Parts: sequence; C-alpha cells; structure tokens
Amino acid sequence: MNIAADRILGIVLLGLAAFVAAQAMQLHVPFSYDPLGPKAFPLGLSVLLAVFSLVLLFRPGTNGDWPRGVLVLKLLGVLLTLLVYALVFTSLGYLPATALVVLVLSRLFGAPWAKAAISGVLVALGSYLLFTQAMGILLPASDWLTALT
Amino acid sequence: MWDFLAQGFAVALTPLNLGLAFLGALIGTLFGALPGIGPINGIAILMPLAYTMGLPAESSLILLAAIYTGSEYGGRMSSILLNVPGDAGAVFTTLDGNPLAKQGLAGPALGLSAVSSFIGATLAILGITLFAPLLARVAVMFGPAEFFALMVFAFASMSAMMGKDPLKTAIGAVLGVLVATIGVDSGTGVLRFTFGIPELYDGIDFIVLIIGLFAISEILLMLEHSHTSDDGGAMAPLGRVMVRLKEVLFCKWAILRSGLIGFVIGVLPGTGASVAGAVAYTTEKRLSDQKGTFGKGDMRGLSAPESANNAAAVGAFVPMLTLGIPGSGTTAVMLGALMLYNITPGPTMFTEHTAVAGGLIASLYLGNLMLLLLNLPLAGLFARVLTIPRWLLVPAIAILAFVGVFQLHSNLYAIFLMLIVGVMGYLLRKLGFSLAPIILGYVLGGLMEQNLRRALAISGGDSGILWQSGISIGLWIAAAMLIVLPWLLPWLWRKRNAASCSLSK
Repeated sequence: MNIAADRILGIVLLGLAAFVAAQAMQLHVPFSYDPLGPKAFPLGLSVLLAVFSLVLLFRPGTNGDWPRGVLVLKLLGVLLTLLVYALVFTSLGYLPATALVVLVLSRLFGAPWAKAAISGVLVALGSYLLFTQAMGILLPASDWLTALT
Repeated sequence: MWDFLAQGFAVALTPLNLGLAFLGALIGTLFGALPGIGPINGIAILMPLAYTMGLPAESSLILLAAIYTGSEYGGRMSSILLNVPGDAGAVFTTLDGNPLAKQGLAGPALGLSAVSSFIGATLAILGITLFAPLLARVAVMFGPAEFFALMVFAFASMSAMMGKDPLKTAIGAVLGVLVATIGVDSGTGVLRFTFGIPELYDGIDFIVLIIGLFAISEILLMLEHSHTSDDGGAMAPLGRVMVRLKEVLFCKWAILRSGLIGFVIGVLPGTGASVAGAVAYTTEKRLSDQKGTFGKGDMRGLSAPESANNAAAVGAFVPMLTLGIPGSGTTAVMLGALMLYNITPGPTMFTEHTAVAGGLIASLYLGNLMLLLLNLPLAGLFARVLTIPRWLLVPAIAILAFVGVFQLHSNLYAIFLMLIVGVMGYLLRKLGFSLAPIILGYVLGGLMEQNLRRALAISGGDSGILWQSGISIGLWIAAAMLIVLPWLLPWLWRKRNAASCSLSK
C-alpha cells in the first residue's frame, strides 16, 4: 500500500464535505425569524472542511503502521464481543453475560484459558458487587436460571 | 465577591462530598497510573457511571474533578517508571523522570513529582479563587456576538497550540462541530442530518460519543499494543521512598515559575496540560540548564513539567466555569457532564449555581491536599498497578464503560452507535488525530452556532454586529494572530537571518 493514508483521508473528508453541503442545501424552512437559518452554519463548516482536506491531499503526513492479518480479526473480535454482550445483557442476566464476555476479551488479549476463565468469574462477581452494593445500580438478573431449577 | 468560597467549603465539607473527593482522588490516581490511560480517558470512562449513581450536580462534579486531578498525579507513574507517557501532557515528564528512575532514584522522583504537582495545582487553585469571579464579572457583559468571537478565538488557539499537527487539530474540531449539528435544529425545528432515523433526532448523545471515542478506541489500541509488544517493560526499582526537603528546595524556583506558566496556559481556552508541560520544560531548560544536565535526570527538569501540568489542568477550569468554554479536552468532557444536569456553565455560574462553582473550587483545595497525602507514602503501592497484566485490566475497563452506557441507554441502537464511533475514534487516532479537539468541537459547536444566529437575529441579519464591540474586535484580532503568527514568525526569522548573513559577507 503506497498511497499515504492521509491522502485517502483527504478524499474521504472531501466527499464528506460535499455530502454535508448537499444535505444542507436541501434544508428548507418555510418561515422563520432567524435571518441565518439552519443552512448557513453547516455550509460554512463544509467549506472549511473542504479547504482543510485539500491541504491534506497535497501535503499528507507520514503513513502510520496499520494493523493487518490476525490483528484485524482480533480487533473485529472485540467489537463483535461487545455487540453480543449488548444483545444478551438483559436476556442472559448480568453475571453469566459478563463472565462470558470477560473470558472472551481476556483470551483476545492473550490470556491462557484457565486465567481467562478465572478472571471472567472474578471480574463478573466483583463488578456485580461494586455496581449493586456500592453504587446502587440495578442490573438484569438471570431469571432463566431460577426458572430452570 | 468571594462569598462563594465560604459556601463552597460548606458544600465540600459535607461527609458525602468529602468522601467523594477522597474516592475520586484514589480512583483517579489508580486510573492515571494505568499505562496509556490519560486523564481524559479516565474521566470519559468513569463519567457515565458517576451520572448513573444519581448524585446531585455538585457532588458529581466534585467526584469528576477529583478523578481529573488524581489522574494527573497518577499519570506520572508510567512516565517515570516505564518511560510510557499516559497522555501528551506527560511526555515532558519522561525526559528527566525516567533517567532519574534509571539512576535508582525512582522513589524520590515520584515524591518530587507529587510535591511539584501539589504546589503547581495549589498556585492554580489560588489563581482560580482570585480571578474566576473577576472574569465572571467581565463575562456578564458578553453578548452573543462576543461569545461567537470568543469561540472563534478558542478554536484558533486550539489549532495553534494543541496536538502535534495543527491541520489535523483543525479538522478534528470541524468534525466535532459537524457532529453537534446532527438532530433537531433548536432555532427552527428543522431536522438536520438525521436521514430519517428517529434515534438521531436528539443528536448524537454525549455519553455514547465520549465512551465510543475514548473508551472503545482505547481498548482497540491497547489490543494492538498487546499484540505487537510484550506488556510491562522492565520497571525500575523504587529505591528510597521519600523525597528530601533539600531536593524540593533545589527545585523551588522551577516549581513556582512553571506553576505560574501552567496556570496562564491552562486558562487560555483550548490549550491544556500538554502545551503547559512543553512550555515550562523548555523555559526551565533555557533558564537553569547551565551544566547540560537536563534530559539526563535533572530534578528541575522533572518538577517543571509536573508543576505546570497540574497548574494547567486546574487553570482550565477558569474559562469553563466563567465563560462556559472549556480550557482543555478533559474540561470539555466535564462541561458536557454538567449539561446533563441542565447546568450550562457561564457568567452566571457564580451567582446562580454558587453551590456548584464554590463547591468545586473548595473541593479542589481539599482534593489536592488529599492527593499529596495519598501519593507521598503510597507511591510504591500505586506503582503496583503498572504490573497488572492487560488481559485482566482491559476487560474490566470494557465492563465499566459498557455498563455506564447501558444504564443510560438500554437499547441496541446506542451500543451500535457507540461501537461505530469507537472504530472512527480508533482510525482517527491511528491517523495522528488527537481526540480532545473533536470533543471540544462537539461541546462548543452547538453554542457557537446558537450565538452566531442569536447575534444576527438581534441585528436583523447585519453581520456588522459581530465586530462592533471592543471586546469582540480584540478577540478577532487575537484569533487572527494565533493563526497567522506560527506561519509568519519562522518566515520572518529566516528573512532576518538571511539578511544578517548577507550583511556579514
């Protein structure tokens, strides 16, 4: 990849500026006491952004280190884990959901299985006590567990 | 005029607030000590939780302020012991701090840093007490046009001084302002940039934004670090734990000078601790580095940025409390927190919300003292935090951040948005952006537009109102100078040098 990341960013930002400007032009106010209206400010911003991104296009900085391979998968893994956490947070209940998420995250950060499992249980229990006892936050209970027994 | 202080101490000395200040100091130091997590990330991660605890506004602010000042103290641990600055402000601490640690003086270095921080912060708190009410009196005279000019000035000083790349700082600020325009336009009720998504009608929520931008991107970056390098470099042994009085006295002028420099820089809107550390260090080096010991473990080279950092961190409260314009990224986050309580800081802060303003200032005095007492004897204990492995630390941070958001917005949409913002934040940081301008842009953007439109509504659309009063003209000139001077000065220097060269021939 020889194109500097800043050039790509410049193009993206230029596109964003054009998009903002186009969207702002479509704003229509039938009547208002406000002489400036809702259009002008975003339009001004898009002009500023366009100027800055042109500068960036012509004078890009150094290209940084970009993640590749396994690391990209790991990064996506973290995002996916947090999304799944949100999905199961209420249905599974705080303790099991948190223990599982901490287990997966610890693994992603390179912990061996046993340590990850222990930290999952301990962080879940510890944070549960912290949130409910010390901070008075209500957390979803695991009703399905009581329903099983 | 200074009655607020008595009332403030009455607020700050209640058992709840005293306890919160202590708790904040403790948590802040611990969070700040974590490698890579600077004050702003610490505040961003912990703010939603403070909000969900249902504390009154002043208590919540006291807690956050204590965390803020605490993390400035704690941030030095990783700078001195591991040579890993927690944030941009701590870079100059590593220059002499780490060499000291390598000479076996890690303990005294930590102690000296705590004492310098204490003195710097105390100077700045005195400064707030003196100047904030005065500035508030001036600020009462500000109309919408003056506020608009002030915000232009704030953005100008930010792009001139914050971050390593002025262009990216400016782009970040514009992006932040753009994010603030999403949602219902308060002036006309028109929907802007919502694309028919009902959840966007109220705009991008502040908490979702900061957790995504700071916490999620931080987690992603830490994953990258843990992937590419082993965590926990060799930690220097602490050596003797206490700093000697002689050593502090040796640095006294460095500490006092830097404290003053730090306060002044902190007060300027948009420039925070990172600039203060740099200016104080270079000034001190120029003034007192006769033997060329700076950078090789000179105690003055450690105490100067430390004193300045903390003075600037505290000084940043001045514009936030009196003008409603945050002096740094971290105070921008705190301003947002106050807005969650429907308190908009500004000139009336000292008259209408005396308990909040006074309580905050009084708690700064108390919190700063607590921090010194905590940090001097317990430095060794806090330093242990550095040895916690990432695989244990990061999941715990993720849980803290997540529960904070989920308590406030228990819907998938908010979480989804948070993750998207997180990825954006990660990409921007990889591209060399700092996040503080973005959050400042977000917080100031809405106010900036409102004031511009209000000013033009008063004048009936005549833009002349924007540069009518002396105050606004002064601010416009100052803003223009901040933008032009960094380009002009080097050019003038070169020209003069060239002229003198040709003369000497």
